[in-house]
Amino acid sequence: MARREVSRKTLLTVTAVFIAAVAGLTLALKGSTGLQWIVSGLTVGSIYALVAMGFSVIYSSTRVINFAQGEFSMLGGMLMYSIYMRAGLPLPLAFLVSVLIVTLIGAGLERATIHPLRNQSVISVIIVTIGLAIFIRATAKLIWGSEPVKVASFTGDKPLRFLGASIVPQSFWVFGLTLLAFVLVFLFFDRTLLGKGMRAAAANPDAASLMGISSSTSSLVAWTMAAALGAAAGIVIAPINFAYYYAGTMLGLKGFTAAILGGLGSASGAVVGGLLLGVLETIVAGVFPSGYKSAVAFVILILVLLIRPEGLLGRSEGVKV
Amino acid sequence: MAGRKASRCDVERKEEPLKRAQRRDYRTLALVTGFILLVPAWAWLLPGDVIHMDIVNIMVFAGIYTFVVIGLNLLVGYAGQISLGHAAFFGIGAYTTAILCCRFTWFPTWLGVLAGVAVAGLIGWLVGVPVLRLKGHYLAMATLGLGEIAVILFAELKGLTGGTIGIPQGLNVKVSQIPALSIFGFDFDTDLKLFFLVWVLAAVVMLLSINIIRSRVGRSLRALHSSEVAADAMGVDTSRQKTRVFVLSAMLAAFGGAIFAHFQRYINPESFVLSVSILFITMVVVGGMGNLWGGVVGVITLTFLPSIIQALPYWIPGVPSGLMNFSNYSLMLYGALLVVFVMFMPQGIAAGLSKAAAYGENRFKQLRDRAGARKYEGH
Repeated sequence: MARREVSRKTLLTVTAVFIAAVAGLTLALKGSTGLQWIVSGLTVGSIYALVAMGFSVIYSSTRVINFAQGEFSMLGGMLMYSIYMRAGLPLPLAFLVSVLIVTLIGAGLERATIHPLRNQSVISVIIVTIGLAIFIRATAKLIWGSEPVKVASFTGDKPLRFLGASIVPQSFWVFGLTLLAFVLVFLFFDRTLLGKGMRAAAANPDAASLMGISSSTSSLVAWTMAAALGAAAGIVIAPINFAYYYAGTMLGLKGFTAAILGGLGSASGAVVGGLLLGVLETIVAGVFPSGYKSAVAFVILILVLLIRPEGLLGRSEGVKV
Repeated sequence: MAGRKASRCDVERKEEPLKRAQRRDYRTLALVTGFILLVPAWAWLLPGDVIHMDIVNIMVFAGIYTFVVIGLNLLVGYAGQISLGHAAFFGIGAYTTAILCCRFTWFPTWLGVLAGVAVAGLIGWLVGVPVLRLKGHYLAMATLGLGEIAVILFAELKGLTGGTIGIPQGLNVKVSQIPALSIFGFDFDTDLKLFFLVWVLAAVVMLLSINIIRSRVGRSLRALHSSEVAADAMGVDTSRQKTRVFVLSAMLAAFGGAIFAHFQRYINPESFVLSVSILFITMVVVGGMGNLWGGVVGVITLTFLPSIIQALPYWIPGVPSGLMNFSNYSLMLYGALLVVFVMFMPQGIAAGLSKAAAYGENRFKQLRDRAGARKYEGH
C-alpha cells in the first residue's frame, strides 16, 4: 500500500513537470501563438472536464459507462439554439429550460432502459447506451437537420487582449461554469448524505441497501446529474464551436478520455484530465497536420488504459470475483 | 481402477448429445446453404424492377457482412469480449488488397485478399495482446479508440491510402477502379458470380466455426465468458484464448473487407467509420449473441431492412413515399433495435422466432386436443 502511495506521488510530480515543460516549451518557441494555443486548449479542456464529470458521476454511483453522455451535450446545444435563438427567450431562462429538458430526458432514459437492466451483464448495458446514443443523434438530425447552427455568445464577441493572445468572453463563462460544476459535484459527493450514500451504493450495492440506501434512486440521481452537466457543457460551448447533431460523438469520446486520464470516478480527476487533454490536443493540432488532432485523444486513451487504467489521480480498485 | 473406468464412461455418455447437436448443426448448414444458393432463382422470378430491390446485389453485401459477423459473434457472443472497432479490420483487409492490386496491376487479386487477411491478423495480434487485458467498458472504449485511429490513418496517410478520396481516385495509379476478384483466371465480375463465391465461402467459414464452438477451444471460450477467474482456475489459458479468438475475428473481418473492396471497386474511409462497427454489433445483437445461426439471420435482416422499407411505398399503396428517404431514419431504427433487442429479446431474433414457433406449436396441439376431446364427447 505504502509503495503505491509513493508511486502515485511520483506520478503526479512527473505529470506536473511534464505539463510545465510542455507549456514552457510552447511559450518559449511560439511566443504569443503558444499562449493562444494554451488559452484555447484550456477553454475546450474545460468542456471536456464538464463532460468527464458526467461520466464520473454515473460511474462512481453505478459503475456504468454511459456511451450517450456526449449526446446530452449535443441536445443542450441544439435546444439552446431553438429556445434562445429561435424562440427568443431571455438568456438565463433559455439556459435553465434547455438544461431542464435534457435533465428530464436523462432521467426518463434511466428509468426506461437502464433501470430494467440493473441485473444484466456489462455488455448489455454498454450496447443499450450505444443504442440510445445512436437513437438520440438520429432524432436530432431529423429535428434540426445536419447543418451546424450558431448560438450567440452570452456577453458579446469582443475579444480581450492578453500578452498578444486574444480571449473571447465566452471562455470566461466556460471557465466559470466548470469551476461551479466542480465545486457542486465535489460538495455533493463529499458532504451530503445522499452523495455519500450513492458512492456506497456503487461500492457495494447489497451492503448499502442494508443501510437503507437505494441503488435504484442512486442510479436515477446520477443520470439526472450527468444529463444536467452534459447539457450545461453543450450550451456553454455552443457559441464557440457550432452546435450540430453529430457534435456529441466526439465530445463524448474526448470527455471519456479526460475522465480516464484523470481517474474515472473523481471530480478533480475529471478537471485535471480535461484541461490536460484540451491543451495537449490544441498544441498537437498546431504543430502537426490538423487531421491528427482527434488521434491525440485516442492515443492517450489507449495508453492510459494500458499503462495506468486508474488514471492520474485515481486509486486502483481491488478486483472482486 | 473401477472409479476411473466409471468416470470415463461418464465422459463418453456426455459426448453423445454433443455429437447429436453437431450432426443437427451440419444438417442445418446444408439446408440453409441450399436455401440461400437458390435465392438467385427467386430473384429471377421477381426481377428488380418489379419488387424495387436488387436481391442478388443485396445478398452479396449480406454474404460479405456474414464473415465479419461470424467472427464478431465468436468474440462477443461466445468469448464475451466486446469490440467496437471491427470496421477497422474490415478496412485493413479492404485497403491492403486495394493498394496492392491498384499499385501493381500484375498482382493477383486472390493473393491480395489473402494478404489483407494476413495483415489484419498480424495487426489484430499486435493490438489484441495488450488491449484484451482490459475488461468490459474499458475494452469497449479501447477498441472504439483503435477503430477511430484507424479511420484517421486511412484518411491522413494520403500517399498510401488516397486520403478521403480513397482508392483508386485518390492514388496516382493507372487503373480507374479496383480490379474484380479473379481466381485462376476466372473473373468474379458480376453480382451473380460473386454471390455464389461469397455464400459458398460463408458456408465453409460457418462449418469451421461450428467445429470451433463444439471443440475444446469453444468450451474454453464459453467458460471464460461466464467467469474468467473460474476458467483460469480450471486451467484455461484465458489470455491466449482471448487473443486467438480476437485474431480470428479480425481475420474474418478483413476477409469480408477485402472481398468488399473487389465488389464495390472503390473504397474510401467512409466505409469503415464507427457507425459501421456499430452496425456489425447490431447485426450480432439482433441475430442473437452466442448463436451463429442467429448471426446469419441478423445480417440478412439488417442488410435487407433499408431496401425493404424503401420499397414499401411501391408494394403497399397508401404508404407515405417519404419512406423512400429511408437513409434519414436508418440510424434511428438501428439505435432503437439495439435497445429493444437487448431489453426484450436478448437471445436475438432467431431464438425469438423459435420461441414463437414453439409457442404456436403448443397452442396448436392444445387446440387440436381440445377439438379432439369435444369430438369424442359428441359421440
